Amino acid sequence: MITIRFVVNGALQVLSVAPETTLLGALRNQLGLTGAKSGCEVGDCGACTVIVDGRSVNACLMLAVQADGCTVLTIEGLATREKLHPLQRAFEELAALQCGFCGPGAILSAKALLDVNPDPSRQEVRDGLAGNLCRCTGYTKMIDAVLHAAQELRAAPTSAATHGER
Amino acid sequence: MDSKPVVDGQRQAELQRAATPGVAAEHPLRIYREPLPAVFPAELRVPEVRLQTPAVGQRATRPDARLHGLGQTRYIDDMAFPGMLHARIKRAGVASARILRIDTREAEAMPGVMAVLTGRDIPVNSFGPSFQDQPVLADDRVFHAGDGVAAVAAVTEQLAADALEKIRVEYEPLPAVFDPLEALREDAHQVHAPANNVYARKVIRKGDVETALAASAHVFEQQYRTQMVEHVPIEPHAAIALWDANGRVTLYSSLGRITLGRADVARTLRLPVNRVRLVGTIVGGNFGGKNEITQEPVLALLSKKTGRPVKGVYTRNEEFTASTTRHPFIMDYKTGVDRDGRILARKVRLVLDGGAYCSWSETTLGKAAILSVGPYRIDHLLVEACVVYTNKTMTGAMRGFGAPQVCFAYESQMDEIAAALGIDPLEIRLRNVFVNGSSSPTGQVLDSVVVRESLLQAAERFGWKEGGA
Repeated sequence: MITIRFVVNGALQVLSVAPETTLLGALRNQLGLTGAKSGCEVGDCGACTVIVDGRSVNACLMLAVQADGCTVLTIEGLATREKLHPLQRAFEELAALQCGFCGPGAILSAKALLDVNPDPSRQEVRDGLAGNLCRCTGYTKMIDAVLHAAQELRAAPTSAATHGER
Repeated sequence: MDSKPVVDGQRQAELQRAATPGVAAEHPLRIYREPLPAVFPAELRVPEVRLQTPAVGQRATRPDARLHGLGQTRYIDDMAFPGMLHARIKRAGVASARILRIDTREAEAMPGVMAVLTGRDIPVNSFGPSFQDQPVLADDRVFHAGDGVAAVAAVTEQLAADALEKIRVEYEPLPAVFDPLEALREDAHQVHAPANNVYARKVIRKGDVETALAASAHVFEQQYRTQMVEHVPIEPHAAIALWDANGRVTLYSSLGRITLGRADVARTLRLPVNRVRLVGTIVGGNFGGKNEITQEPVLALLSKKTGRPVKGVYTRNEEFTASTTRHPFIMDYKTGVDRDGRILARKVRLVLDGGAYCSWSETTLGKAAILSVGPYRIDHLLVEACVVYTNKTMTGAMRGFGAPQVCFAYESQMDEIAAALGIDPLEIRLRNVFVNGSSSPTGQVLDSVVVRESLLQAAERFGWKEGGA
């Protein structure tokens, strides 16, 4: 077993993990953060997407030991029930979530995109979500939601940074 | 027998009132609450028969979307119980074989492996919505490569997967058939011998198709094929079983049809239905692929053997090889038309590749056959449809139950006829579509038919004429 120390959703976590434990396994099974989903275990579907040091990664392909010393954001760290991130609000209001299984991953991929590109074109949003498969929505509503949230974040960056009371 | 619905005097008066413009708001059965949203034009405030309902065009949010977006929705794989074990199923990997022996001793001896199950342990080892032709775990014969042959419950998923490697299965290879047309031949390998490979048929006849074809100005013949499709829900099939001390089993499952599933589980476990509790949870995508039981009896028996909760989650590989898929269709169309493109006769032959087990094939076959001639007025019809066993992944329910496949065929042929006769593709459809009072291929007289209006509206909205045909 190997001891790792990393910051998850703002809190320092010290875990003892087996060498083959994935970051997804550590988050879901050891920290109880089940928002990241296991959909394919081979990095195709993106349901396990989390943000590690500012970049979106497939947590099923990253070993937990590789996250040692990193800062990790999962969907649980993005908002609380009453304080939604503009992306979460837009996904909800523009019907980008149906069965919802791919939602947390797609929202985090979108956040990683908007953090580096606050004013993406429609094509750039498509590229940003290319690693997140969804079988319900047909993607158009997701793309609409990301563009809508981007606009809101640009208009009020400070309130958005604190996630803005709904 | 009189097929008219019985409508008593008072109900008839209500229906008449509801159908009269302007009085529907007072209708005792109305479902629309006042006041209606301001976004609706005043003239649409009262829904009338054949008008759009006020729901169309309104924005609604799903009540469950908030927790989806927060990552707080609990799907099966997000649930855990104290002492819970993880199950994995060993897949045959061969399409057609006799199982000579299964040696599970090495797997059972592994530390962390709590129980191993084979087909012999299943009280009633068969299930299926129409025919019970599918084993829970193959015991004597393997009918397709995705058949489960043994299952393991271990303290971790990894250990369960490792234990599968230690299970040795000895097979005697048997002949196999993979092509549905080959499977139709008399000398073909019979997948479930002595049963014939053709396990369901549907024939629809109307008028005199041969005479009408002979009298047609033009006859078009073409074959169309569609491929196998997997639903690929992003959430794989998942379930948790808890066998309690009193001999009752509780199953949490991603199953869509829990009432049917409960009966199937009870049957396979030879339990009275009241000993089985099946809890449907939020499903991460179904699309028809989660309409019948899969691993639930296996998990229940592993829970019974170990006295612990047991969770099973399909791998993505199992989703493709061991869950149902959409039927591949081979569709032969022969259509006779007059000089103006009016369809006079249509002959359709459908061969559905059913894979190794029936599943929802009967339902799919029936719907496909009825819809196979398209939404067109055709007086002379012959539809001959059948579904055949092959040694492939089983096919079952998927969105549309066979409707999308035949739609691809008849609409493709409409375009071909239009092109050959130099008629606008929209125009040829308008000349042939159902109208009020048309009857379906099986004789149902259709009411409230708006195909024509829908086509015209759609063509106008997306600029069919401007785009050029």
